[in-house]
Amino acid sequence: MSEDSIANELNKDGVSRRDFMKLCGLMAGMMGLEYLPPSAKNVIGGNLRSAYAPAQLVAKALSEKPRLPVIWLELQDCAGCSEALTRSQSPTLGNLVLNSITVEYHETLSAAAGFQAEEAKQAAMKKYAGQYILVVEGSVSPKDDGIYCTIGGKSSLSLLQEAAAGAAAIVATGNCAAFGGLPKAKPNPTGAKGVWEVIKDKPVVNIPGCPAIPEAFTGTLLHFLVFGALPELDNLHRPKMFYGNTIHDRCLRRPFYEAGKFAASYDDEGARKGYCLYKLGCKGPTTYNACAVIKWSQGLSFPVQSGHPCLGCSEPNFWDGGGFYQGQSAILDKPTAVLVGAAAGAGAVIGLGAAAANSAQKKAAKKHPEEKKE
Amino acid sequence: MTWTDVLTFARGPLFQASLLIFIAGMIYRLVRVIFLGWSPDKVKNKGSKAGGVVMAYLKSFLIWPFIPWVKNTFKKNPLIYIAGGIFHLGLFVVLVLGTAHMLVWKSLLGFGWSTLPLPIVDWMAAVTICAMVVLFINRLINPVLKLISGPAEWLNLLFVFLPMITGYILTHHLFFRYEVSYSIHMLCVDFLLIWIPFSRISHFIFYFFSKTIHGEEFGKRGVKA
Amino acid sequence: MTTVTKQAMDVFVEETGGWVASQLEACTRCGMCAEACHFYQSSGNPEYAPVWKIELLRRAYEQRFTLVGKVKTLLGVNKRVTDEDLEHWSKLNYYACTVCNKCSMVCPMGIDLGSLLHEVRAGMAAAGLVPADLMAAVNKQLQEGSPLGMTEDVWDQRMEWVADEWEVDIPRDVKGADTMVVFSSIEVMKFPTNIAAIAKVLNTAGEKWTISSKAREVVNFGFYEGNVEHTKLFINRILEGARELGVKRIVVTECGHAYDALRWHAANWIPEANDFEVIHITGVLGELVESGRIKLKPGFFDGKGTITFHDACKIQRKGGHINEPREILKIIAPNAFKEMSPNREQSVCCGGGGGVIAIKDADPIRYDAFKLKIDQVNAVGAETVTMTCSNCRLQFTDCVDHFKLDWKITGLAQMVADALEE
Repeated sequence: MSEDSIANELNKDGVSRRDFMKLCGLMAGMMGLEYLPPSAKNVIGGNLRSAYAPAQLVAKALSEKPRLPVIWLELQDCAGCSEALTRSQSPTLGNLVLNSITVEYHETLSAAAGFQAEEAKQAAMKKYAGQYILVVEGSVSPKDDGIYCTIGGKSSLSLLQEAAAGAAAIVATGNCAAFGGLPKAKPNPTGAKGVWEVIKDKPVVNIPGCPAIPEAFTGTLLHFLVFGALPELDNLHRPKMFYGNTIHDRCLRRPFYEAGKFAASYDDEGARKGYCLYKLGCKGPTTYNACAVIKWSQGLSFPVQSGHPCLGCSEPNFWDGGGFYQGQSAILDKPTAVLVGAAAGAGAVIGLGAAAANSAQKKAAKKHPEEKKE
Repeated sequence: MTWTDVLTFARGPLFQASLLIFIAGMIYRLVRVIFLGWSPDKVKNKGSKAGGVVMAYLKSFLIWPFIPWVKNTFKKNPLIYIAGGIFHLGLFVVLVLGTAHMLVWKSLLGFGWSTLPLPIVDWMAAVTICAMVVLFINRLINPVLKLISGPAEWLNLLFVFLPMITGYILTHHLFFRYEVSYSIHMLCVDFLLIWIPFSRISHFIFYFFSKTIHGEEFGKRGVKA
Repeated sequence: MTTVTKQAMDVFVEETGGWVASQLEACTRCGMCAEACHFYQSSGNPEYAPVWKIELLRRAYEQRFTLVGKVKTLLGVNKRVTDEDLEHWSKLNYYACTVCNKCSMVCPMGIDLGSLLHEVRAGMAAAGLVPADLMAAVNKQLQEGSPLGMTEDVWDQRMEWVADEWEVDIPRDVKGADTMVVFSSIEVMKFPTNIAAIAKVLNTAGEKWTISSKAREVVNFGFYEGNVEHTKLFINRILEGARELGVKRIVVTECGHAYDALRWHAANWIPEANDFEVIHITGVLGELVESGRIKLKPGFFDGKGTITFHDACKIQRKGGHINEPREILKIIAPNAFKEMSPNREQSVCCGGGGGVIAIKDADPIRYDAFKLKIDQVNAVGAETVTMTCSNCRLQFTDCVDHFKLDWKITGLAQMVADALEE
């Protein structure tokens, strides 16, 4: 692999300087760069005043840095996040980013397979030790010695630990890698966990979603690329620049929520008029993601815009969050009829006991002769 | 332990436990009172007991609350009538006719119903909160209320006030992140559910006893009360 | 716990069945009952709030019967009922309550505070904490048959004198009569014209009635005391008289509490009370006018100044005879009659019932309470006040004297007798 700068590589591929700057501007915009993030202090001094400054910043980084090596592990996954990434929008932008990285190992995307691919991975891990980004897709399953998920005879846990050892940083993409996702749904028979619950000694950034929004993934990588550090993270290790606001806070249907206009079913008057989907179970208010802003397929649309309530797929345990079509305010653990009956029965029994004790008191009180003052 | 975890807990297992304790507690309370013994009324009626009961409920639920000034005592203390009435009405509107809570009922009962527009419910909630403040102040300064109010009365006020104010904060996305407000609201609600059977807030069940007795007492005498 | 407290508490516990308990549970401490109580309204003393008057009963219930009460006891935060408490509350219960039941009307929960207060009085009676004046009256009734010094001899003489003086026939101890009329000693001793009036009316109507020397007294001081045994004793005297004479109906003349006890409670203490129909004289008057058995001179009382009607708590609000007085007054004083406000079942108590007027120490409180009545009567500009209860009449007459008012106080039966077309 060439150690030439990204800009030069692009140049070799026929991307003109002008197009390159346009693309850098796009990337800067995607990262939401207006002011210098804290991690960028070392790269360039002062504020970004002119309109071109962010683009120039990105361009400068790409001109100086070599491509970023990436090891991509798939554990208990469906490969959906990879699918979303490879099918993502503007070919040039996606390619640009993907061209800024070298994916040294990816089960789904690699041409090679089997032990060959495994050997290539080991070689890459050795060569770029301490420098590569480990991307994990899918949850890890440490339970019962990891027998529920093995690749090439090795458990997902050992694969993860091995790869994490030499990584500069870990990007857990998709809800499964971040928080356990679908495999973790009740009753979680395989003991699925998110990566950060298992790897504690390396910086882990979560890019949850089901799948993760491609731009959220690429934007994070970009940040690392340009600034040499991970972006600012929230308490769930999600980049604030993509996960800082809820769907609800940026939703195009918010005015309808405020006005209390709700769709009651998928094809009623309200639905056709684009009313809020709160009653249909939208989890927008508690879901932190960039869907309402960046959207999907090049900003084409996102679930709510297309008339489907938000599932809350970037939040931990969203599969157990009370049913996709049950209202956001609804109860998660409904007591069964049996439990209710038992509670009522218990109450009745204790009540009868108390009543009996009280009645005994009354009888005892009656026995005492009342002194009548004549 | 993030706020999202707290929320899941408060909406999930804790709510279930609170609801079950509420049911057990209320049944306990009812059974304990009912089985204390009732003696039959052997007095001959002049008027109709059933008629008296119907009148009593009609007047108490459907008529007087909306034209309280016809009651002579209203003139003596209009504040309590209005504040108390608005409080109860607001509680009903928010808990039954508000969309967010209707969805809770739907998840518990299996069916829902049409609700009032959010701005109306929201306004009602604000008015109710004001009414509670008024009732609180009244309890501080009215000499009779000062005499008869013990710690239980103050706590009851507080524990009913908390879900209302946290619900309002939640709906308006004030001060905190949504899952934080929501968690606090649910914790207050869960606590209230556990508190109700062991406090005077359960008066809503005993209302039916005293009102029926009242209707009977006056109905049998042929007095429209 | 001393014997006194124990006796009271025992009664509280014994009396607390589902009926009492469910109502005690229903109270939300809203304080509305105070707004309806004339004693609180006139004095501003928060201890006169009805909910406070029954506090000891509630405490007994909470501490003995409820989980919360037991927990509080364990934690040592309970206010135990003491002798001092009982003595203090005795005053509240007997001096400052006429059991008028206005509080029951306004309670948003519909709690029957009047009956609950009777339960408290029962406890007081058992503990020997009834005010001395009242107890003396009870004893007099036990021994002499009447609290007002009306022994059999006195009664005998008075009845003869009334019959003589007003030239009315008062049939005595007539076996097989339809109706037995039992007068109150208040009428016999203080308002004898009432007796003559009632006799005149019944005779004109051709009613087959009698009085009974066994059932001489309708007033029931055991009821005021709160002592069920005494109450039953006094009622039984009336029932015995009725049984002896084989009458079908017992008429209670102008006394409120007596009517409440005999008509609306007796059957629950003494099942045999249901053998007889019990009716108040107001009801009888109404019946006679409606059926045409007596005819009244229309407008007889017009032109003699405004007349207003005082609703007696136990005859109108808790007795049900609300329309009869109005029907009658519409005939005999169509223009002169003006209603006070509030009236009918919402009326304000005179302040003298429930035994209060018998207690000297309660006089200041009683006069204070009457001030509300003065305002009512003055607001309607009445010169004459008429009523159907002689205890109210006693209170009115006493207060007219005390406050130096220039009202004329009369009874409805009296007015009917005066306006009778012979």
